[in-house]
Amino acid sequence: MRDKLEIEATSRTPAVVFDFAGNHLKISGESYPEDVTEFYRPVFEALDEYLGGLGQGSCRFDFELIYLNSSSAKAVMMLMDKLEAAAANGASVDIHWLYDKEDDTMQELGEEFGEDLEFAKFHLEKMSV
Amino acid sequence: MLAGQLMDLRSMLHKQGVIFAYSGYVTEPVLSGVGEALKQKLTIDDADTKTLRSVFAIFVEQMQNIIRYSAEMQLAPPPPASDAGALKEIRYGILTIGREGVDYIVCAGNLVRQTDVERLRERLSRIRDMNKEELKALYKEKLRADPEEGSKGAGLGFMEIARRATQPIEFDFVEVDADYTFFALKATI
Repeated sequence: MRDKLEIEATSRTPAVVFDFAGNHLKISGESYPEDVTEFYRPVFEALDEYLGGLGQGSCRFDFELIYLNSSSAKAVMMLMDKLEAAAANGASVDIHWLYDKEDDTMQELGEEFGEDLEFAKFHLEKMSV
Repeated sequence: MLAGQLMDLRSMLHKQGVIFAYSGYVTEPVLSGVGEALKQKLTIDDADTKTLRSVFAIFVEQMQNIIRYSAEMQLAPPPPASDAGALKEIRYGILTIGREGVDYIVCAGNLVRQTDVERLRERLSRIRDMNKEELKALYKEKLRADPEEGSKGAGLGFMEIARRATQPIEFDFVEVDADYTFFALKATI
């Protein structure tokens, strides 16, 4: 199994830093890719592979998104679903949603995602900018 | 003559409070470029963070609606097999960003097929008449649902626009010919 996935941020896509060896995964920045499916495909694949081997282990996932368009919201929901499924299967999963305190839209979006989580632990936090 | 004609066009836009206007074929790089200029202008205007993000978010959804759904389009020649992801068509639309008093306005227009007008009108009326709580509930429902037939995104664009706007969205249709209607959508932030 690979021990990390790193994708550098562009003006339209977020930075992805998945430290699988350290069980710390993070997506940060802005997300409004030209082609959402193409951007998130390798992210989903790497996450599936990692979560498949996580078992009863623990992991932390940080969402530090400044802005995401509506098609990216769907991709984020799919990430949440994968994390929730791993937690339902016995993993200890902590999801941290960090939002800019000056943009309550992103705070609300985080709350909406958090409401659907039953097994994964959800933390809503202000970004320390 | 030349300067007069262009200046008339510019004056007409100015009178309507328009700061940015794009009319033509829209591609993703156009979205990127105009989007960068828009961010800079909003920063210079000293718009607060929430306004800046909302104007930008609505701009992105409006532009992507044109790119994906405008019925006025030209097909590109088939790309070589090695570049299967290449652009297959370009679509035509108009987008303006301007001011009305203290508000920012983002308007977009494009042709739609007559057969799509009623469905679009119903969908937009429903979204326009919802309060923020109802919009939130519908957004969550659509986020979970499979995309509708013919949808190339998540089907959430109009709701994202309505949620980010500070006033109810406005929309209008003008029949062009037997096959097409011009559709306009206005968001106030």
